[in-house]
Amino acid sequence: MTATAVRIARPNGWWGMALFVATEATLFGTLVGTWIYLRFENAHWPPPPLPNPPVLTPTLLTLALLTTSIFMQLAWRAAREWRRSRAWTLIAVAFAIQVFYLSWQLHDFVLAVHAFPPRASAFSSVYVTMLGIDHAHVLVGLLLSAWLLVRIATKITRYRLVALQAITFYWHAVNVITAVVLIVTVLPSV
Amino acid sequence: MAVAAPEQRLARLERIWLERPGILGWLTTVDHKRIGLLYFWTTLVFFAAGGTEAMLMRTQLAQADEHVVGPETYDQLLTMHGVTMIFFFIIPMTTGAFGNYLVPLMIGARDMAFPRMNALSFWVFLGAGLFMYSSFLFHQAPDAGWFDYVPLGLKQYDGGLNIDFYALGLIFNSVASTLGAINLVVTIFKLRAPGMSWNRMPLFCFAMLAASLSLIFALPALTADLIFLELQRKLGFHFFDPAHGGSALLWQDLFWIFGHPEVYIIVLPAFGIATSIIPTFARHKMVAFPLVAMAELLVAFIGFGVWAHHMFATGIASTTLVFFAGASMIVVIPSTIQIYAWLMTVNIGTPSFKAPLLFIGGFILFFVVGGLSGIMFAAVPVDQATTDTYFVVAHFHFIIFGAAVFPLLGGIYYWFPKVTGRMYDERLAVISFILTFIGTAVTFFPMHIVGLLGMTRRVYTYDKGLGWDTYNLVETIGGFVIAAGLLLILFNIFWSYRRGEPAGRDPFHGGTLEWTTTSPPPTYNFPVVPTVSSAYPNWDEPDRQEDLRKLERGELVLDAGHETVVSSVNDARFDEVVEMPPESPWPILLAGALTIAFAFLLTSHWFVAGAFLVLTTLMLAGWHSQEPEEA
Repeated sequence: MTATAVRIARPNGWWGMALFVATEATLFGTLVGTWIYLRFENAHWPPPPLPNPPVLTPTLLTLALLTTSIFMQLAWRAAREWRRSRAWTLIAVAFAIQVFYLSWQLHDFVLAVHAFPPRASAFSSVYVTMLGIDHAHVLVGLLLSAWLLVRIATKITRYRLVALQAITFYWHAVNVITAVVLIVTVLPSV
Repeated sequence: MAVAAPEQRLARLERIWLERPGILGWLTTVDHKRIGLLYFWTTLVFFAAGGTEAMLMRTQLAQADEHVVGPETYDQLLTMHGVTMIFFFIIPMTTGAFGNYLVPLMIGARDMAFPRMNALSFWVFLGAGLFMYSSFLFHQAPDAGWFDYVPLGLKQYDGGLNIDFYALGLIFNSVASTLGAINLVVTIFKLRAPGMSWNRMPLFCFAMLAASLSLIFALPALTADLIFLELQRKLGFHFFDPAHGGSALLWQDLFWIFGHPEVYIIVLPAFGIATSIIPTFARHKMVAFPLVAMAELLVAFIGFGVWAHHMFATGIASTTLVFFAGASMIVVIPSTIQIYAWLMTVNIGTPSFKAPLLFIGGFILFFVVGGLSGIMFAAVPVDQATTDTYFVVAHFHFIIFGAAVFPLLGGIYYWFPKVTGRMYDERLAVISFILTFIGTAVTFFPMHIVGLLGMTRRVYTYDKGLGWDTYNLVETIGGFVIAAGLLLILFNIFWSYRRGEPAGRDPFHGGTLEWTTTSPPPTYNFPVVPTVSSAYPNWDEPDRQEDLRKLERGELVLDAGHETVVSSVNDARFDEVVEMPPESPWPILLAGALTIAFAFLLTSHWFVAGAFLVLTTLMLAGWHSQEPEEA
């Protein structure tokens, strides 16, 4: 019998994460709202002489990040059938992609801070802030996944199963948020 | 195998749920009742601080050209009074103290859904409060008003650390509020006793649910605003600077997107307390129960669509004014539904006007007075004429003190016997009601008049001969009368705790589940997971008899471990039994590290602050290395 078979509803941990994600999604809603609000305060967005934000690299990286939702979901499925090593491997694959994503994005973030100095304009301020907060959320996800990898390396308990379910949900949310941030920030360029 | 007697089961439960004695036990507790009491006493200290600030201001304003405090000190007192009362008294008192203590007891649970996170939210709240108040030690308390409008709050106009204390302190505090709100929502969703479907849940819990959901969705706007402010102040970003494409009004929009739901966050728990006290003392179930439940949720929902009525005088477009004026009118409807339901319940019941109900009577009256002046502000010309006058101060003090604090005072008396096991002194309680009632009317009503006479808000003194002197003197006298009433309540609490008559399990014949258990409740709350078949389970005698039989049979006693029942969200069907975590030192340690991190953020020592944030991450790993099942 699987662990989920005895449950008729989602566990407390999942609900806790869902509400946490709700508050984080609202935070990003505020950031996107600020972006749009300030856009209407400016005749040019970005204001000259700033270049348009890059499109190709962030898009490819975000697509790569989106695939981790699949791996995390498969890992959760494997774990609830108590297939520990398969679950661990899938989380590890997702983790590797996420590390790759964040490393590249942090490198580009440093370039972005130089190309769009936040002290230069409101556009640069909100652009750099939104990217920075998004990357911080990916970093938090990586820390959560690292903890999972350590804990699931030995065995799966009910506690860890709920943790995996909640962290999988977190990654889905972060991936959607990252896609939204990408769409908003590349719009001036397309 | 021998069957255990009920006494043996209870002894086993007592052993399982017992926490460490002494101070160490309080520092590591995860018991919702102890955490509720920690919140209660801490917020009471902050209430005293905020009240002292208010009395200093009122003394300064008692006569024209007074010199009790100077303008800089007055600005700090004014700002800290608002910040304290809203963020460090009412919200933590309602959600932290009342919510924590009562929600699990009202829904038949043994604890909150996340007991360690519950402890963390308290210690983070305490850390944020100490952080904020430490600003007085450096004579750099926040000083730009509780809503800290820019550009006044920017570096070029307020160059000290005052506003940094404000911004970082509120970001820090919002961590505590968010954690607490998430915990309350999950507890209400998942830990209701089997059988307690939504239509059987106490209205108090609906109010806490509405307030918690509002916190979850309102706080991020404030957090984002404060992050922008700190980035602009410390690193030179340009969110609020029109010369660089920013907007000063952005601050106000984001602040009030949080700030108006905040009004309902403050007042909704008060509604919940009213809907608990009225049926008990009217000896009648609440009339229009489903409508009141929906109204509580609707108030919270509509509250998100009215924020711009705080900005009618800023020059925003006419169409925007009309929309927000309309929305501000609509929010009256669910509020009025509740007022009628309260009055009708008293009317068709057989009311006993003991102190808790008297406070609710005062609450209803003041809520109507504050509500009527609130409707006036929905009329744009009236709002524009009275903006930044004492008329506004009168309005929101009738709401915040009259409508939010009066039910809290009534609630303190109502649940005092449950928490302490002793009765309060009724005669002193009635006198304290009379004093606070008269004091509130005398303090805040003349503010309407002096506001219409032209006295503006936030002035530290005024000239003679403007016709304001007498009103201000009367207001100050009223303030001292309120203080006397509040001190009498405090005296009653201490005196009754030592000398009060034993209260027994259910002195008022209340309807909700907390009255089914002993006073004070045992560490495990209930001997068995209670049977629930209506919204007033304590009035269902067959169900209470069934609980005794369940205890005899050992059914749903859960004496095999530190456990509670989890049920489904919609209809509260039994789902599973989960192991709850035991007491833990991690929450207080983590909150301590976070407090230090925020202190270094204040002084711009980024790397040291970062090191402490890394430390908190390691602590979280340590926290989760101990799983409840292994404990």
